[in-house]
Amino acid sequence: MNEWLIFLLLFLSPVLSSVPIVLAYKSKAWTEKLPYLSVFGIFVSVIMSLYILFVLPENQQFSYPWIPEFGINIVLITDYLSRYMGVITALIAFFIAIYGLDYMKGDYRPSWYWFFFNLFTASMLLVVYSDNLFLLFVGWEGLGAASWGLIGHWFRDDNDISYVGKAGRKVGPLELSWPPSFGGWRAISTIRFGDVPMFLALAAIWALSPTLNISEIEWGTLFETLGAGGTIILLLCLLMGLFTKSAQVPFSEWLMTAMTGPTTVSALLHSATMVAAGAFVFIKLTWYIAPWTLHGVHGLEYVYLLVLFIGLLSGLYGALSGSGMLERKVLLAASTMSSIGLMFAAAAASYWVDVEVGEMHMNFAVLVAFWYMAVHAFAKASLFLVSGHLIHATHSRFLSGGLEFGKKMVPAFIVTIVATTFLVGIPPLTAYWVKSAMDEVMEHLFHEVGYLPLILLVLTSVVYSGIMAKFLALNFIKGEKPHHEHTHGGGLMKVGYSLMVSVLFVLLYIIFTSEEGHEFVAAGSVLKHGTITISFGVGILALLAYMVALYRPQIHALNKLGAFFGDRMYLPFMNDFIIPKIGFFVSHLVQDYGNRGIDGFFNTVTIPGLFGTISKRIRGIQTGYLSRYINIVLGLVMILLVVVAIGGVWL
Amino acid sequence: MMLLYFLILPLLAAVLAPLLKPKAATHLTVSFFLLPFFAILSCLFYGCAEVHLMTFSAPIGELYLSADFISHAFGLTICIVSAMVGLFALPYMEHRFVEMELSVESEFRKYIFLYDLYAASMLWLVYSGNLILLYIFLEIALITAFLLIYFYGYGNRRWVGQLYLIWSLVAGVLTLAGFLIIGINNDTLALKYIETVGRYAWPFIFVGMVIELPVLGPHVWLPWAHAEAPTPLSALLSPLTVGLAGYVLLRIALIDYSFIVTYRSYIFGYALFSSIYAGFSVFKQTDFKRLLAYSTVSQMGYILAALCLGPFGLVGVVIQYMSHAFGKSILFSSAGGIIAVHHGLRDVRQMGGLHDSIPAISNAAVVGFLNLGGILTVGMLGEFFILRGVVETFGVSTGSLAILLAVIFMFILSVWYGFYTIRKVFYGKPKDTTRKEISRYLYVPLFLIGITSVLLVFPPLSTALIPGLKSVIWPLMGMGGIVP
Repeated sequence: MNEWLIFLLLFLSPVLSSVPIVLAYKSKAWTEKLPYLSVFGIFVSVIMSLYILFVLPENQQFSYPWIPEFGINIVLITDYLSRYMGVITALIAFFIAIYGLDYMKGDYRPSWYWFFFNLFTASMLLVVYSDNLFLLFVGWEGLGAASWGLIGHWFRDDNDISYVGKAGRKVGPLELSWPPSFGGWRAISTIRFGDVPMFLALAAIWALSPTLNISEIEWGTLFETLGAGGTIILLLCLLMGLFTKSAQVPFSEWLMTAMTGPTTVSALLHSATMVAAGAFVFIKLTWYIAPWTLHGVHGLEYVYLLVLFIGLLSGLYGALSGSGMLERKVLLAASTMSSIGLMFAAAAASYWVDVEVGEMHMNFAVLVAFWYMAVHAFAKASLFLVSGHLIHATHSRFLSGGLEFGKKMVPAFIVTIVATTFLVGIPPLTAYWVKSAMDEVMEHLFHEVGYLPLILLVLTSVVYSGIMAKFLALNFIKGEKPHHEHTHGGGLMKVGYSLMVSVLFVLLYIIFTSEEGHEFVAAGSVLKHGTITISFGVGILALLAYMVALYRPQIHALNKLGAFFGDRMYLPFMNDFIIPKIGFFVSHLVQDYGNRGIDGFFNTVTIPGLFGTISKRIRGIQTGYLSRYINIVLGLVMILLVVVAIGGVWL
Repeated sequence: MMLLYFLILPLLAAVLAPLLKPKAATHLTVSFFLLPFFAILSCLFYGCAEVHLMTFSAPIGELYLSADFISHAFGLTICIVSAMVGLFALPYMEHRFVEMELSVESEFRKYIFLYDLYAASMLWLVYSGNLILLYIFLEIALITAFLLIYFYGYGNRRWVGQLYLIWSLVAGVLTLAGFLIIGINNDTLALKYIETVGRYAWPFIFVGMVIELPVLGPHVWLPWAHAEAPTPLSALLSPLTVGLAGYVLLRIALIDYSFIVTYRSYIFGYALFSSIYAGFSVFKQTDFKRLLAYSTVSQMGYILAALCLGPFGLVGVVIQYMSHAFGKSILFSSAGGIIAVHHGLRDVRQMGGLHDSIPAISNAAVVGFLNLGGILTVGMLGEFFILRGVVETFGVSTGSLAILLAVIFMFILSVWYGFYTIRKVFYGKPKDTTRKEISRYLYVPLFLIGITSVLLVFPPLSTALIPGLKSVIWPLMGMGGIVP
């Protein structure tokens, strides 16, 4: 088959298949049927991504002219990262879409939902496969726009189930409750705050490098041209885009309020698109920048150090925040932020970890980050889908449900057990091997960076394990009895999350059979040189934390601390209080002094008044009384005499 | 010659349309603007020759229709926007005439004459190869716009009309003075033969066009005019007319860039300040149309800033004009849609949740704001070129950091006020939950503009357009090498 046909189908079939439902938005009958077409569109993408993985040659570039005079071209690449990430994205989107057929039934604007859902998927696929930075940015902006549309999907703000935060809860001047329309606005405003600097960075690369293709840019030369200051500015600008998209501190607030969107959206947002996009692009850029070979470039080390610590701090911040949260989806959101932070940290560690893996000489740290992304994606998506089902069943977005309820929701119960245990790094389940490798990466940093990264990672892992167990316990085992139980139906929802979670087993299989998996398995071994490895120790700690949290999901003695964590350590104050206050103060100055002043000067008071006065004076002359004219003439004569006198003296 | 025939069509529409009934007149107008649109599109791919009209003695020189890519870019924007807004205007103006207790049929004749003449004069302006011809069309556009405000505007429309007329006349006269100086110095006003602009003509033209653009200071006429004009006029005035000042500046800059280079830092700083200032103004507006007007001032700051940024910036000027025109025409039309459907509703404080009653118009407005923000629309290319211009001109270093941050903030602000407004106007708890049945004329044209804008990002349109712009701008800027 022609490669271009494959790529066109891959990107366009989701978008085109959701056009009919948009056009038929008025007809209830059609909007009930056409979602199947949209899901089919994503299915086509799945097939295409699999075709690309198995049939198309590896590491090949496909180029089609766009604006070749300026180096902007449609360039796609099938490198290791793209091929796998493409399949992950398409597959996850497809499973969620199946689930969504049930979940979004009877919604008040299905056309909007399906259009943006599919646009979201297509945009992410574009980000994944594109090699040209401008093309990547097209997908990147698509992600931003689609996420805005989906987060604010329930724009009417009329249902408490779509809010984030407890209605009416106030801390100081701040109300800690956010409606969907606000969630959407905050998402796009935060994302744009990072996207424009990123766009500037791309423009700078465009100006300084002969090509915009990630795989062909001579990064070392580029950084040398820029010098240390320029390199740091360029990379910081670029990272602004990645950090805001991936909701790293201090840009994490939008992700928490993004939980106002439908759960399917949260699932997609958190696993394979949007927040993952930031980490993915960082991994991909690092892959090609190969910073471990560029130790001679000034400034680069600082940037990677910054990413390492922002990642780790976000990891810890997310996990701690999650420990105090009682809302199903917001808890998961905080945990996602934490995981994404670890991906950043692992990829950034590659600067100091010059270890190659396999025939393709892949950097070990980058590979770890990517694999953690894959494992996390399926596990987290499963958990989100489960929590969506729970919200449907209990009509509550807060953690609730005891063992009795759990027995009625057996598939969801099992999926949650599998997804949480496979995700937190309990030996010997899937994430354990990847997490062990991550521990090993952080161990590598002893000489250059010190012990702090490993300490932060271990702390994060332990708390993270605890919050996942808390999620399980408070939803299925020890939570309060839900006020409302509606446990029937939801067949497609169950199919969705069951399929999703089953991939974790496949990944486990791949880890044990693939070449790159060998390194993970080696990292996770119990003993090395006769002593117990740190990785295994961390695994045991995670298991302990999991067991403890399962047994005591809530500790009432720590309520105050929990509230502090649950309120995201009052970070909302920055977004909801300080920044708007400053902004509206400037607006007030500009409008009430600036514009009114200028308007008054030119249009309403000063200049019109001046003309009025002059006109009045001139008209005042023309009264017709002789005495007036004689006065004027005499006055003029007097002035003339004075002038002549002065002139005479002066001459 | 083909170009000439197609450009005559809109002028012809001004003569023929008043003879017809409203619906027929509208359809005639739309087709007579769409035909040149497609003609210009074909020019992008197959090229077309410039048309000699006549030659006068010095200092006027040759009158001709230029046919380079800059004219095409502006021309196709004007054609599609005029056609689509013309379509939108049919139900809107009928509604307005009824509201003003005028006879629909006879008023529509007057209105469509002025509308067609107004739009056609702008189209001719961008194809004018002679400064005096350009000036004449500038003045026709000004006067027709003034009359439309004066006759059919809202509020204190006569005062606003005069305000607009006076400011534009001041701008026009200053520009004319500049043109005349050019004519005397060069013995011709034909664009292709002018060799120097000189330090006396430049300030006149610059000040005149900065008033017309407008940027901070003289910007105060614009919110009045845009807010009180009948909406179809607002939907041409803001997108097309004010940006034409950018076109004039661009043409003059391409002849002689020295003025800009000499005063670059001042002009650039002024433009950034103006754009950010106006961006902040948007947040405080309570009248939806006035809000959009401030956003226009902010966007025009982009154009003035881009003008300072060398050849890449100049490409940015053209694309930014297009992107703003598409976006703002959609937005003003959606404001008009709200006015028509919700009985004159313009106060943002009374809105909220409008998506429920008019989803199609609400979605169109989203497309409009995406244009302004440069998200997935042609504005994206515009921003990319402007940013490249910034990098080429000021470099990426700690020394230029302040400038880079200011430019970044300017772009961010557009999206902030855009989506802030969307939320305030269209989302949130609906006050009116009944779905309104609205005429297709009120929203289908807006989506067509939006689709054009998106298509312009991708091949084959951008593949033809952008290198075309390069082929005009680069030689005039003395490129292949470095920015002068």
